[in-house]
Amino acid sequence: MQLQRTLTRSRKADLMTELVQTVSGLLLVGFLWTHMLFVGSILLGVEAFNRLAQFMEQFRLLDVAVVFIILTAGAHVAAVFRRIPGRWQEQKIVWKHAKTIKHADTWSWLFQAVTGSAMLVLIIIHVFIVVYAGINAKLSADRVHSWMLGFYIVLLLLAEYHASVGLYRALVKWGVVKRKSLKKVLTFITVCTIGLGLVSLWLFLSLGDSV
Amino acid sequence: MNPRQLTFHILRYNPDTPKQAPTMQTFELQEEMGMTLFIALNKIREEQDPSLKFDFVCRAGICGSCGMLINGRPTLACRTLTKDLPRDISLMPLPVFKLLGDLSVDTGTWFRDVSLRTEAWIHTEKVFEPKAQEERMDNETALNIYEVERCIECGCCIGGCATANIKPDFIGAAGVNRVSRFMIDPRDERDEQQYFDVVGSEDGIFGCIGLMACDDNCPIGIPLQGQLAYVRRKMAVAGWKR
Repeated sequence: MQLQRTLTRSRKADLMTELVQTVSGLLLVGFLWTHMLFVGSILLGVEAFNRLAQFMEQFRLLDVAVVFIILTAGAHVAAVFRRIPGRWQEQKIVWKHAKTIKHADTWSWLFQAVTGSAMLVLIIIHVFIVVYAGINAKLSADRVHSWMLGFYIVLLLLAEYHASVGLYRALVKWGVVKRKSLKKVLTFITVCTIGLGLVSLWLFLSLGDSV
Repeated sequence: MNPRQLTFHILRYNPDTPKQAPTMQTFELQEEMGMTLFIALNKIREEQDPSLKFDFVCRAGICGSCGMLINGRPTLACRTLTKDLPRDISLMPLPVFKLLGDLSVDTGTWFRDVSLRTEAWIHTEKVFEPKAQEERMDNETALNIYEVERCIECGCCIGGCATANIKPDFIGAAGVNRVSRFMIDPRDERDEQQYFDVVGSEDGIFGCIGLMACDDNCPIGIPLQGQLAYVRRKMAVAGWKR
């Protein structure tokens, strides 16, 4: 053991970072899925959507959600940042490695890192807009009627992919799960949530100027 | 059916002449009945290029010296039949380990270093009595130990691991699996905190990011996913108590 290592022996830090990464990740998956269900309330009509939004604002649930997402996503980003190969040579090695061994779960990790980084920017924009504008069906319909439709489609796909792969990896790392069946279940859930998101977007789009 | 004409693309590199960049050299060879890569590589060396470096000892999947990237996949060359491969076959040495030349790597130094760092031996205060009867172990424990101890240290799990490829101190699935063997063994008197000191870090189990290329590529099918999760949970509990 070298001097610098004996003087700084906090071996618990690695475990704690790993736990922060996993727990914040799981919370974010739960948040995302709940979020998609809430947005999906537009399927029940404008009335239902607006009532849910009013309810959330009335009981300050929206504020709670915003604080929650900032803290949890912040913790998640801080914890997972160490996983992204920082040096140019390391970047070259991992991409070349993935191309060489042609291994699906290795590729999905690279996509996980890429989607995560992209989402960091998109989520900040998304949260800002919601905080400043508030939530009701008309606002959403107006937004979807602009260039922002593309923004929401991209964010939807990235978020669902990232959440699904992240949950898969957390369960594989910590528990005894059959990977094949887990993949099937998660693919099904992801297709459903993406479908729900797209249908919601389409409904907002077709609402157009009618609200 | 006419025998196939196989085309091998083999990485050539000599560390003694580092100025010469690694290249892929092509060899043509006619396929034979029941041909393994062990047979194919020996034929190439005998008939086409005597300078080709590669390792084989047991040619039966026991010694673990012929691990290499076969069409990119880390596995044992001696157990790979050419009939299971396409006509074009690329062969590269395992990454992570010291490259001795062409397809030959030094896995021994890496594994010895990991064994020393993880203290991969039975820790006990008991004095050995040569004349005493051996202590019995229940069958289930013995079988569990045997299951993970089947590791032949071929290094395929390490070569396939993205983390091991960029983090030189990471002990990988082989290292974690080796430690798990002592955790199961009742003769080892180490407590969980002592194990935590050895594997409870980024260089050990918490460096694993769960890509499972190790589990997918282990040529002898050790349940590495389960072993990694077992050690991870055990070490999380131990670390939490600190």
